[in-house]
Amino acid sequence: MFQLTELQHDALVEIFNLGVGRAAAAMSRIVGEEVTMSVPMITFQSRAEVAKTLGSNEGRRISAVAQHFDGAFSTEAFLMFPEDKSLEIVRLMVGQTMTVEELSEMEQEAMSEIGNIILNSCMGAFANAAGKELRGSLPTYLAGTGDVILGVSGKEWDGVVLTLKIDFNIERHHIYGYVAFLLDMPALQDLQRQIDDYLAKLMG
Amino acid sequence: MQLRLLQGVLEAVRAGIIVVDAEQRIVIWNQWMEQHSQLPAADIQGKTFGEVFPDMVDGRTHIAIRAALENNFASLLSQTLNKAPFPLYANAVDAISGTRMQQAVHVMPLEIDGLARHCVVQITDVSLAVSRERKLRELASELESQTLVDGLTGIANRRRFDLHLDDEFRRAKRNASPLSLIMIDVDYFKDYNDNYGHQRGDQCLVQIAATLGSVLNRSRDLVARYGGEEFTVILPDTNEDGAMQIAETMRAEIEGLQIEHGYSGVGKVVTVSLGVSTLVPEHLSKTGALIHAADRALYQAKRSGRNCVVMYTDARKKAE
Repeated sequence: MFQLTELQHDALVEIFNLGVGRAAAAMSRIVGEEVTMSVPMITFQSRAEVAKTLGSNEGRRISAVAQHFDGAFSTEAFLMFPEDKSLEIVRLMVGQTMTVEELSEMEQEAMSEIGNIILNSCMGAFANAAGKELRGSLPTYLAGTGDVILGVSGKEWDGVVLTLKIDFNIERHHIYGYVAFLLDMPALQDLQRQIDDYLAKLMG
Repeated sequence: MQLRLLQGVLEAVRAGIIVVDAEQRIVIWNQWMEQHSQLPAADIQGKTFGEVFPDMVDGRTHIAIRAALENNFASLLSQTLNKAPFPLYANAVDAISGTRMQQAVHVMPLEIDGLARHCVVQITDVSLAVSRERKLRELASELESQTLVDGLTGIANRRRFDLHLDDEFRRAKRNASPLSLIMIDVDYFKDYNDNYGHQRGDQCLVQIAATLGSVLNRSRDLVARYGGEEFTVILPDTNEDGAMQIAETMRAEIEGLQIEHGYSGVGKVVTVSLGVSTLVPEHLSKTGALIHAADRALYQAKRSGRNCVVMYTDARKKAE
């Protein structure tokens, strides 16, 4: 599987932590309480491996928010939580309790906004670091097993998935989620080149 | 021709359309916006977003506009997380009372060849969806209030407990038979939750509920979730000795589950404290007395070091 050098890896983790930090600040303003987020690790995996991590084999359902980005590189970006966790997040943010076991229409929209904030912040931090521009679409809400969600962009695909594990804290609840970027070979090369450019700039 | 057609569409569409240029000046303000803001386009055009909406400067919408103009990102502002950001009103009556329309806002960058970047803010009225959901929520909570089963553990809930206790109390009164109640509290459960997480905490409660239930075998005995980590057991036709025996069995069974609890003040596993009260209800007795007595006994059990059973004894009787 695709590997970054340790330096490239650390740079990327730093960039994404900056991004989710901004997203957390935006979310704190919305709920009027402290929300913190960090990215403890990033991995490169195949789509099947990511789906497995998300419990696809056991039929575990997840909620996802998807956005398309293109420009400096092209990618489908996903924010993913186990379905029950997305309920928890939205209801913690909205401050309402509903006994219904799936996200209602309005809650799906709220979840889309949360995904939009996080994905835009991650990509914004990356675009800033790279000094390049990325165009971001509006978010779409998806629910289903991980393989169905990640399979959305076509079956014949041999790229890799850049996955960020996101450690999310809201009102003393710890929730893990994932941000995933589908990267095909050209996108991966663009990404790597941009990290190198960023590092070169840092090193002066 | 095409342009006039597009203008017509812009005026006909049932959504607010605001177009903002690279300097954040409003260049398009459609008829829907005029109608619901009661601000004519002529007064708006050319002014910056901040001049028209000083209250929204640096708010979510403003940040989304900047993200579109500067970073080329689209944003969604949901009604649920953003309560009516724009001062828009469904009708003149609402405008007078200051009741804002429920809104969903989309902010999208516009890239048109030969033009500096603009962005379009689209506002939709979601009042209908909001009231539909409110109705749904009301129905769901109404339904919930009628249920008798605890959602997490599957045993009887507080409501079922109240109903069952009333029934058994009346029956005991009629037959002059003893009725016992056990109040059970999980020891150091907050520390369990804080350290192992809510999911493990929930699993722990499910296991405890099942174990408590397995101790009972008469059809009118009932174990219920009283609240949080509190359980309660109703034992009809059961005197002090019988109730103490069952309580002790329950205590031992829970300890025997050997659920690891590294943060308990009493041991290395999850344990419970139990308070027992027994009453032969008289004419004027109330269920509250039985519950209160079991509560007092539970409090004593907690004070006596937890992981134990305490029987309620009337202080006046003790003095005799």
